[in-house]
Amino acid sequence: MILNEHAIVESTEEIAFNTFQTFLKSPKISTSMKPGQFINILPTKNWGEMMRRPMSVASQKDGIISIIYKVVGQGTQLMKDWAVGDTVDLIGPLGNYWDGYTDKFPILIGGGVGIAPILNLYNHLNHLDEDNVLIMGARNSSEHFINHNPENGNYMTTDDGSLGIHGNVLEPLKLALENLNFENTKIFACGPPAMMEAVRQFSISKGIECDLALETLMACGFGICQGCTVEFEKKQVTTEHSYRNRFGLICMDGPIFESKEIKSCHL
Amino acid sequence: MSSVKFGNINFSSPILVASGTYGYGHETASMVDVNGIGGIVTKSVTRHPREGNPPPRIAETTSGMLNSIGLANVGVNEYCKSKLPYLNKLNTKIIINIAGTAVEDYVETLQILETAGGNHVGYEINISCPNVKEGGMSFGVSAKMTESLTAELRKYTSKLLIMKLSPNVTSIEEIALGAENGGADAVSAINTLVGMGIDIKTRKMKINTTFGGLSGPAIKPVALANIYKVFKAVRIPIIGLGGISCVEDVIEFILAGADLVQIGTLNYKEPGIAIRLGHELDNYCKNNNLSSIHDLKGLAEPH
Repeated sequence: MILNEHAIVESTEEIAFNTFQTFLKSPKISTSMKPGQFINILPTKNWGEMMRRPMSVASQKDGIISIIYKVVGQGTQLMKDWAVGDTVDLIGPLGNYWDGYTDKFPILIGGGVGIAPILNLYNHLNHLDEDNVLIMGARNSSEHFINHNPENGNYMTTDDGSLGIHGNVLEPLKLALENLNFENTKIFACGPPAMMEAVRQFSISKGIECDLALETLMACGFGICQGCTVEFEKKQVTTEHSYRNRFGLICMDGPIFESKEIKSCHL
Repeated sequence: MSSVKFGNINFSSPILVASGTYGYGHETASMVDVNGIGGIVTKSVTRHPREGNPPPRIAETTSGMLNSIGLANVGVNEYCKSKLPYLNKLNTKIIINIAGTAVEDYVETLQILETAGGNHVGYEINISCPNVKEGGMSFGVSAKMTESLTAELRKYTSKLLIMKLSPNVTSIEEIALGAENGGADAVSAINTLVGMGIDIKTRKMKINTTFGGLSGPAIKPVALANIYKVFKAVRIPIIGLGGISCVEDVIEFILAGADLVQIGTLNYKEPGIAIRLGHELDNYCKNNNLSSIHDLKGLAEPH
């Protein structure tokens, strides 16, 4: 059920360069959401822009959720400046959620702050004591906030080689797959469009099941504006949310789609 | 209080939600008691289903947004089957927005709806969608065609018949007169303004169809000017819309000549805004000893 809840800011910390994690007390949303879902945030009561800011949830525990974001515009600047105890208007939980992560061996891939919904799944898998591989890609070491620890299945990559593996997320993905049966493996990914499209095409070429969480501009987040579409590869069964079968709504049919289901991650 | 009689219909609040900004009324049900809204104008329905336009369909602009959804909808047959039963259960007034390409499209769609057993109180006719070639815009820019389409539809319904006017015309007064002469019960004004945006990094248009419809507070002064012009030109009631975001805006629209108003773009940010503004309007009436907000219709004075 979609809720409109006023959350309370618990804390904000800078976890990497210009990258922040904010914890919000939201008893209702935090206890009713599943990893992969997102919330739509009103950055401030007098928000003059027309759209809320959709954000994936990076953790949910004890009535508290967290979001991870880079300060890039007015909305994220306001979020960074939230004071402890501030009230924040949230709509959520929104969208579908990760599934099939206990049926197959999960490889989790996140790119930059796009790793948020992947981290929520990572925490959940560790809570369930399910073995997994976590890969995070970034441009350089300043954007990373997880230790590069291949022995524990945590691989960090950088475009400039300043931390972990020099290259993109496909390098550790290929490494991790060396000892795995493709049929019994499933990839879960979220990050910038170029990274996701590379992972999408790789997964299709290898015949590995792969779910991708897409990100795009949204006006509402709950299906009334019809603004956040992705084109399906083949015409699906008519989706109730987009009214038809050529496009899916990222907010309601997604944000998570199977790699084979969509035409491209470039929206 | 702020209830308003419109035609022979009593609206519990003069604040409705605009077509295309509130789906089919069920989407917000877990957050908002939609029965507290004066009325819901449902998303444009066409004779046959429409996929809508490819992405990107929306862009944020200063105090507004561009959209080019392309009239994505289930088509009138499916609308009757899957949307009307839910709408029939609501205690708010339902107005069905109809879009079309040719006179026959509008007529057939309306005829199907007339026999579908809906509790809706009327139809809003979209002759002003700027985002699809066949969005009825050819009607909306011609007073003659507006009049003949209105007259044709008038033959088939005794429910409220409201023509939705475009601001993308030389003289909105002439189009409004065409609607009035054709037998419309009311006009609603305004639909979105044609706009465009460019991403300077990619040098691509922000909207897939190049042009989109601009809405939000950015267009409020344009809406007010058009409503005032229409108010001066016709005797039939007016539903005002275009960037309303607060109770002061509602009052301004009524002073300019509107009988009812619709909230559009702001629903996305605050799905319960129509109800909140309804309460604020009640308070305004109380504090100003108004028996009805309608008493303020068209009272704006020129200098």
